[in-house]
Formats: sequence, C-alpha cells, structure tokens
Amino acid sequence: MQAIAARLQPFAPHALSLLRIMAALLLLEYAFLKLFDFPTAPDFPMETIFYVAGVIELVGGLLLLLGLFTRPVAFILSGETAIAYFHTHAPHSFHPIVNGGGMAVFFCFVFLYLVFAGGGVWSLDRLVLKQD
Amino acid sequence: MVSYSALEKWRPYFLSILRIVAGLLFLQHGLSKFFGFPTAGPPMSTLLYVQGVIEVLGGLLIILGAYTRPVAFILAGDMAAAYFIAHYPKSFYPLVNGGDAAILYCFLFLYLVFAGAGPWSLDRGALKQE
Repeated sequence: MQAIAARLQPFAPHALSLLRIMAALLLLEYAFLKLFDFPTAPDFPMETIFYVAGVIELVGGLLLLLGLFTRPVAFILSGETAIAYFHTHAPHSFHPIVNGGGMAVFFCFVFLYLVFAGGGVWSLDRLVLKQD
Repeated sequence: MVSYSALEKWRPYFLSILRIVAGLLFLQHGLSKFFGFPTAGPPMSTLLYVQGVIEVLGGLLIILGAYTRPVAFILAGDMAAAYFIAHYPKSFYPLVNGGDAAILYCFLFLYLVFAGAGPWSLDRGALKQE
C-alpha cells in the first residue's frame, strides 16, 4: 500500500488543478444563472444581494478557472459561499440535504482548501507568475 | 511577491477538514436513501439500494479517513457513473440536470486518491499508512 501511495503522490498537484478547474466551472454556472439566466432562469426572485453574489462568482470563477491569484481569490469565494449558505440556505433547515445548501458548503470547503494548497501545476500562478 | 509558505504549513490539516466535510455531505445521501433521514430520498430501485450502500460505507470510511485512497478511487468512479446514469440524460447543463454535486464529489475523490487523507485520519493515526 505504501508503495502505491508513493507512486500516486507525485500526481496530487495535477489532480488538485483538475479539482480547481471543475469547481470553478461549476461556480461559473451559478454566476451565469443569476446574471444571464443561462442555462436556465433562477427559481428564486433576484434581490440586490444575489446580483452582488453573481458578480463575485463570475469574476472569482474566471480567475479560479485560470488559476490566477488562486489563494486570495479562493479566500474571498470561500467567504462568499459561506455567506450564501447562512443567508440563503441555513434558515430553512439544519440539514444541507433539506435546505439545498449542500453545494454551498462543498464549494466553501474546497475553496478554503485552495487558500492553503494553491492552484496546482496547471495554473497561471505557476506557469506565468512563477509563484505558488 | 507574496510568500505563501505560512499558509502551506497548514495545508495538510485543511485537506483533512475538506475530506471530513465531503464525507459528511456524501453520507447524507446514503442516509436519506436508507433511513429517510433527515428527509426521504428518491423512489428506491435496486440500483439505488446498491448506491445507498456505497454512499453509507464510503461516506463513513472517508469521514474516518480509513483506506482513503482505494475508497476514494471507488467513490470517484461511482460518482461519475451516478452523473451519467441519473443526471446527464436530463440535460447537458449540471445546473439543470441537478448533477453538479456529483461532478464535484467525483473530482474531489479523484484528488483524494492522489493526495491521501491528511494528518487527521485513521490511515495516519492507526493504520500507519499514507
């Protein structure tokens, strides 16, 4: 088992970049939903705070997709999704599967991890800015 | 340039936190299928009973951090299958077909295959493996 783990570990930074890119694409969907009614219109009435959230998700999602300034961007997005959870979902129920906030929790902790882990090998941070 | 080495020191612990949260969220789906807790799941079929077992056992093992890499490997494949069987036929867009969580689980578990469980895990604490 240890031998297998030692052979898997070197590819962790690549898998980290894949996770970052997929999380960014999924987050962008929520931005498009709120701002452009794409691919469907939101099933909740839009308020000012949702437009603000949409802009944060659009800009943050694009930067995260590129892996540009990953750590500070992920820090902001982690806070944004935490607020989204407690503002929009938590009042309905304690359980994420009931209050519909499972994705918000999931995003929040993935982004929190990216604050500490960075963007991985496939990121503009690494490739262009030569920083982690 | 900003130095992030101070953050990097905490990275393994946040890997474990992410793993535990993802395991808890994942376990919810198994519990709702089998015990109707905290809410009733979808109408059950043989395939969904199998899926429920995978979610309960897999979720518990991920939370505990036991045999994380092989378990995460199975769960990543399981979530990919779940996406294409249960969600993809409804729409191309994850936000419409309801499969966005399945995608994120899939790629998170794939990451755990390569990254392991982190320091707060049975793998590290009791089983003395990575």
